[in-house]
Amino acid sequence: MANARALDNRRKSVRNIKKITRTMELIATARFKQAMDRATAATGYTDRITQVVNDLATSGLEVSHPLLEKRDQTKTATLLVLTSNRGLCGGYNGNILRAALDRKTQLEGEAETLDLQVSGKRGIAGLKFRGIEAAKTFTQFEDKPAFDDVCEVANHFLDAFISGSIDRLDVAYTRFISVSKQEAVIETLLPLDSIGTGESDTSNTQAPAKKESVYEFVPSPSSILEEVVPTSFRVKLFKCFLDSAVSEQIARMVAMKSATENASEMIKQLSMEYNRARQSQITGEIMEIIGGVEALEG
Amino acid sequence: MANEIQCVVVTPENTTVDQSVESVVVPLVDGEAGIYANHASMIGRLGCGEVRLNFGGKTERLFVDGGFVQVDDNVLSVITGRALQAAQIDVGQVESALKDAEASSPESKEEKLARARTIMQSKAMLKVAAKK
Repeated sequence: MANARALDNRRKSVRNIKKITRTMELIATARFKQAMDRATAATGYTDRITQVVNDLATSGLEVSHPLLEKRDQTKTATLLVLTSNRGLCGGYNGNILRAALDRKTQLEGEAETLDLQVSGKRGIAGLKFRGIEAAKTFTQFEDKPAFDDVCEVANHFLDAFISGSIDRLDVAYTRFISVSKQEAVIETLLPLDSIGTGESDTSNTQAPAKKESVYEFVPSPSSILEEVVPTSFRVKLFKCFLDSAVSEQIARMVAMKSATENASEMIKQLSMEYNRARQSQITGEIMEIIGGVEALEG
Repeated sequence: MANEIQCVVVTPENTTVDQSVESVVVPLVDGEAGIYANHASMIGRLGCGEVRLNFGGKTERLFVDGGFVQVDDNVLSVITGRALQAAQIDVGQVESALKDAEASSPESKEEKLARARTIMQSKAMLKVAAKK
């Protein structure tokens, strides 16, 4: 039987760990709410952009833009992987890295050169462990990605795509589907397949109301299209970052919740063992005393 | 109300303004446009500059950085990457950014464009901030 004191010490340390994981869970919950609010605020913007796009489409304008054209040959592909800066969030980073590495091997077969860019310390470390160096890394995106920062990265990709130095951009991130479901996905953002924001349900609900477009375009539909396509790309990329941030907090919340539960379970187990050990220790002591008394009497 | 128009200013991060106003002046790429209630539906491309909202005898001024304006059914939406209240503009910071940009002499085409953009934005911002 284990030493009662050692068991008690272990129980104390598990209790401390439980306190920490419980606090982390609460912090993640608070951060998740903030991130969620930001994501909801962004939908006001994306919905309106989608509406403008739909209006442009219904006005009978030929939709063509260099960003929408598919290149015949993919010489240089870029894969942007969005991971978190901090750990302790369960399988969040592992899932993205696994998805990204699959796509990486696939892209290496298709394109001549592959440019791997990673955001988040965890992703950088995870790839280094696998012996892969990223061409470019970002660590400035925390749980509140700012549009200005994302814009900078987006403009960089836009310039590179238009000048022809990259032919394709894939982004690996964790898409937020619902509070109980997020999945690691890879999306091809350049060339853009459609200039909507990728949310087919919102565009569907808005499309019927806007059948008869009687818009006046100032200065001209083509000028607006010229601006709306890059904007649409920037917003899409921003949405990837927002989704990642929300998913990260959820993953951490879930991981910490199960850690807390596990700690409670362990405390229960250890308490039982401790009580048993204590009981047997007392019994042993009594037996010793009785033995001593009997020896004296005898 | 019959002669008021709902004005909504949205950026990817938040909805800056959402209120009913008498008239709005927006900076289009080729000059300012004033919009009153019951304006015909239109979509316009915005430049860098000042949005003025007139309501209740007051004028509220905002700086917007490009984007679009959409008018439909007496709702005016300003869709922009950045919207700042005139009072929020940090003049010192903008001035130093402008100075840095003017002092730099970029080589590549990309950098030249960025420099021109920064100069244009900073100047427009200072103009909005200077007006009282």
